[in-house]
Amino acid sequence: MRAITKNFFRVPTVCAASLFLILPFVVACGSHAAEGTPQPAAAPDLNGVWSAPFTPDISKTLGHQPPFTPYGATRFAKEDEIDDPLTKCLPIGPARGIQAGIMPFQIVETPSVFTILFENQHTFRIIHTDGRSHPKDLDPTWFGDSVGKWDGDTLVVDTVGLDDRTWLDTAGHEHSDELHLVERFQKVDNNNIKWTVTFEDPKYFTEPWSITLPITRQNTEIMSYSCEENEKDRAHLRRGKK
Amino acid sequence: MRTRPSALVCVAFFLLSVSAPVLAHHGFSVEFDKDSPLTLTGTVTKMEFMNPHIYFYLDVKGKDGKVVNWAFEGGPPNVIYRQGWRKDTLKAGDVVTVKGFRAKDGTHLAACSTVKLPDGREVSAGSGGVSQNAYGSAAAPDGKK
Repeated sequence: MRAITKNFFRVPTVCAASLFLILPFVVACGSHAAEGTPQPAAAPDLNGVWSAPFTPDISKTLGHQPPFTPYGATRFAKEDEIDDPLTKCLPIGPARGIQAGIMPFQIVETPSVFTILFENQHTFRIIHTDGRSHPKDLDPTWFGDSVGKWDGDTLVVDTVGLDDRTWLDTAGHEHSDELHLVERFQKVDNNNIKWTVTFEDPKYFTEPWSITLPITRQNTEIMSYSCEENEKDRAHLRRGKK
Repeated sequence: MRTRPSALVCVAFFLLSVSAPVLAHHGFSVEFDKDSPLTLTGTVTKMEFMNPHIYFYLDVKGKDGKVVNWAFEGGPPNVIYRQGWRKDTLKAGDVVTVKGFRAKDGTHLAACSTVKLPDGREVSAGSGGVSQNAYGSAAAPDGKK
């Protein structure tokens, strides 16, 4: 076991260390935010390791293609899986990270931030729950700017400022930097969360649309992952998905 | 310890019956041809239990007596670790039979779906051609249901 652990952590050490070093800083910043009020002490406890079903084609979950604008439809028709940002080891993005399936994620909850640590590429989301609003001037980033508010047993998360290079799934559903996500993490019981995400993007979709997935607690811990450690596939990838 | 002993019993059983689609950083169909299944028997020459996919290499003797070294890609190491794999599950010198799917580029590369180990067990390598991911959700090898 030690040998395996050593092997797993050999290359991604810097990445993992960065992730866990930044957490206290973020937590500290959140707890001293000038605006807003921290979430109530009785906020539901969602700490733990979780996973949702692997969702490589979001239209299968939706039951049909999203309501594309003409531009969105054209983009989707031309898109090829070889252009998936994950093939270049780029970050998975906030909603797709939840849908990664075979790689779980860990929720770390404090009074002022709700953090999601993805095993996939060891990326993370910081969701501010201290009552703050989005900054007025946002440069798009891989996971955007997220603020959350508890509504009873449900954390409602609003995310904007997303880099348009992420995809929504493996099938090639894209978005622009005008993407607006609204997620609802509803605690069903200690082992189950009902996750609903609404996608709004006037460049790609004519109207907002939503999917719902079950998130279940996992009897495991998130483990190391480095996309670049022994990447050998890129040279073998071929166009022609559709 | 990351996985409790009781859980290991479950994953050992799980290993015998199911396997997972490729998904670490690329879809199945962008690299492998689901219409080109293969079964090869050979001798393990090297095992790379590393991200983003495990790789192992097999010397395979053809009908003409010529030996070709094939590369096989499996699932991400953390995913198949949870299924019971360890870095020494395959060792140089082991004679195994591998089922999988050829790479689209025609090289001696394939996605490995199952490996029949020297002790006779046929285990999933977490890649290609099968029906369940590590948490039991149905999905085809290219990730499409």
